[in-house]
Amino acid sequence: MTGYLLKRLIQMTLVLWVVSVIVFGIMSFTGDPVFMVVPIDASNAQIEQARRILGLDHSLPVQYWRFLTSMLQGDFGQSYVFRQPAMTLILERMPATLEMVVVAMILAVVVAIPLGVYAGANPNSRISKIIMAGSLLGISLPGFWVGMVLIYLFAVHWGIFPSSGRGDTVEVMGVRTSLLTADGWHHIALPALTLSLATMAILLRMTRAGMMEVGRQDFMKFARAKGATRGDVLYKHGLKNALIPVVTIFGLQLGDLIAFATITETIFSWPGMGKLLIDSIYRADRPVIVVYLMLVACIFVVINFLVDVVYTLIDPRISLK
Amino acid sequence: MTALSHRPFNRRLLGSALSVALLAGGGASAEKAITIGLTSDPSHLFPLAGEELSSNIMYYHLYDPLVKRGADLSFGPGLAESWENVDDTTWRFKLRPGVTFHNGNAFTAADVVYTIEKARLSIRPDLVANMASATAIDDLTVEIKTPKPYAVLPNDLAELLILDEEYSSATTDEAMDLEPMGTGPYKLGAWIKEEKLVLTANEDYWAGAPKIKTVTFRPITNPATRTAALLTGEVDVIQDLAVRDVDRVKADDKFTVITRPSLLNIVLGMDTRAVSPTIEGPNPMTDQRVREAIARAIDVDAINSVVMNGLATPSTQFVPASHLGYVEGMNFREMYPLDIEKAKALLAEAGYPDGFTMTLDATNNRYVNDGQIAQALASMLAKIGVTLNLNIMPKSNFWGYIRVPTEQSSFIMSGWDVPSGDAGSMYGALYYTRDKKEGYGQVNRSSYSNPEVDALVDKADSTPDVNQRDAYLQEATKILMADIPMIPVHYEQDIYAARKGVMMEPRVDKFMSAYDMDVE
Repeated sequence: MTGYLLKRLIQMTLVLWVVSVIVFGIMSFTGDPVFMVVPIDASNAQIEQARRILGLDHSLPVQYWRFLTSMLQGDFGQSYVFRQPAMTLILERMPATLEMVVVAMILAVVVAIPLGVYAGANPNSRISKIIMAGSLLGISLPGFWVGMVLIYLFAVHWGIFPSSGRGDTVEVMGVRTSLLTADGWHHIALPALTLSLATMAILLRMTRAGMMEVGRQDFMKFARAKGATRGDVLYKHGLKNALIPVVTIFGLQLGDLIAFATITETIFSWPGMGKLLIDSIYRADRPVIVVYLMLVACIFVVINFLVDVVYTLIDPRISLK
Repeated sequence: MTALSHRPFNRRLLGSALSVALLAGGGASAEKAITIGLTSDPSHLFPLAGEELSSNIMYYHLYDPLVKRGADLSFGPGLAESWENVDDTTWRFKLRPGVTFHNGNAFTAADVVYTIEKARLSIRPDLVANMASATAIDDLTVEIKTPKPYAVLPNDLAELLILDEEYSSATTDEAMDLEPMGTGPYKLGAWIKEEKLVLTANEDYWAGAPKIKTVTFRPITNPATRTAALLTGEVDVIQDLAVRDVDRVKADDKFTVITRPSLLNIVLGMDTRAVSPTIEGPNPMTDQRVREAIARAIDVDAINSVVMNGLATPSTQFVPASHLGYVEGMNFREMYPLDIEKAKALLAEAGYPDGFTMTLDATNNRYVNDGQIAQALASMLAKIGVTLNLNIMPKSNFWGYIRVPTEQSSFIMSGWDVPSGDAGSMYGALYYTRDKKEGYGQVNRSSYSNPEVDALVDKADSTPDVNQRDAYLQEATKILMADIPMIPVHYEQDIYAARKGVMMEPRVDKFMSAYDMDVE
């Protein structure tokens, strides 16, 4: 087990290093960040002074080296725009993103799995066809469009939900959360719904496909013949065996939502990390972008590791190597 | 809107109104509060950390300058009550007595001197570029020496916000970004990044306690969401109403749309070097007739009505009428009206009857509809035989690309604004011969060089008399309007929307000021 963990850890370090090199390389094409910070009529002397203050007065390889060495000492760099530590900026926005993603994923799972099981078990019923048509919409409708339509209907027209923001928050152990106030739930409803739709649709289709495949297996007929209830047959025997692809997708989607809930956050003015990422890209704020993408790579690696562990729990035949 | 629209919020409003009424004492009316929807969260609260609209808005609520810039770009006393020239390069500022910072420290001349020297070493030394030295003569008098006679020093001082020497020396710039200490009309209540920033009134403010006691700023970057927040009542006033929402909001009599021409003048810079990077052969634009031809081919009114939906104001000169250096009655649009035939004739006269090809460099995410304006220009210039290749890029690439010495550009679309109310700063930066004098011509992307203009700018910068300066700059304007180093296109429009009951006069410099607003 420790050998396995060590191997994964080395893989993660490699992935992080490659990500950082790629980001530094790509950012060298997006323009000199100094010009986003100094006034337009700054003299050469003023620009040089700004470069020195921001640490941009060295060649790119030297900047990268300084970035690596500071990182090993725990200093992940300072944003050019905010002049605050990049890691702090990201971490203070992370709880908001995580909250929205968790609520979205729970919503997606709670809706998709039962519907997917039903659609898989009764593929030809009319209800199933309606469910599958709905899932097609969920996959094809773009998130920003759905978000804006929901805002228009539920906030502007009917006034049931607020259009943006996070609402009242409560600080728990130094972390701000909106899930402990009714106002917070009021605010998280629309963003979480918007975010969940695509995942919901994908999970639903994967579950249905998995159930249809498993339904053909002999052991299912045998379980029914044995006298197991319909519920048990579907869920205890069927779903569990169909879960491997569903769990894989779940892990990928979870990582994807955490890292790139950008569009939903921008539309609903949700103060999360995704919005910080897109703003930083527009402003060529490299320190924030590189730390963000490395963090995201880390999250993906951890989630995939956990997914592998879950495989072994679902299917005893699979073992970690 | 049905009653349903406000039901969830009425509960909250009732709750907060009740609690405020309790706090204010029996019988007192609820304290005035306003929620403002901004286009972005401020990045800083420390005035020397950077310059960006939302941050600037916060700076002026929390801090004060020596000279206050009014909503209409007039300049008047701020922390300095009066000032005078002791000699050509020495100014004496008499400071206002009895002013305190939010922590109780007295505001004195030492704070002014400290701020000037700190600015010199910060990322904003341009704020004090025209202040050679500052000395505190006594607690309430500051003497500032300028490197040469500079008639508009007070205008520059309107952008320098005064720090508390004692507080600032005991802390860091990063800390002051989150915990400001100024003399301004508001103090920082709370700042939850990207969510809201709350300011509370400074009851001891020297110009009188603010009418609005609590100001909440909510950053909402998506324009549609910002409009929605106004319509649902979540915010009282919004910045930058999207052009496509103007009609919808106007039609609702619970809201008003407030517009004013902005300071931002969209200008087209033309390269005047003998050889230009994107033009084969000799550069046609060295000839004034070619530049005039290009000016006469551009239909600014069509751009206004088709691209800008009528929400632009065609420019008359390089700076607005309120500025020093503006010549009464001179109108670029009347000097060079749209005239394709005349434009073609001018080109032929200059020796280019078949026109020529060049590249237009423009942004796609900096100015309102900048990409579309560039495309409109391409189709307009095609009519006179000038083929424009469009090189459109995001602003983060643009500034470095077009930077002096402009080795890659022949024709540049950009914007210029002059919040100091003085054309001299624009002419000195944009039209003065490059590499001739330190601090001049550093943005002269056209490589324009006219000794007469240089001489006039020099004269304007050598007199401490504002009226003399104006006279010299007006002479320069007349030459520039005839020479056309740049074509001024239009001023963008600042569009705000507010619910009925909010009294707000939009500022020319786009800084919103809750101190000058009122709510019913």
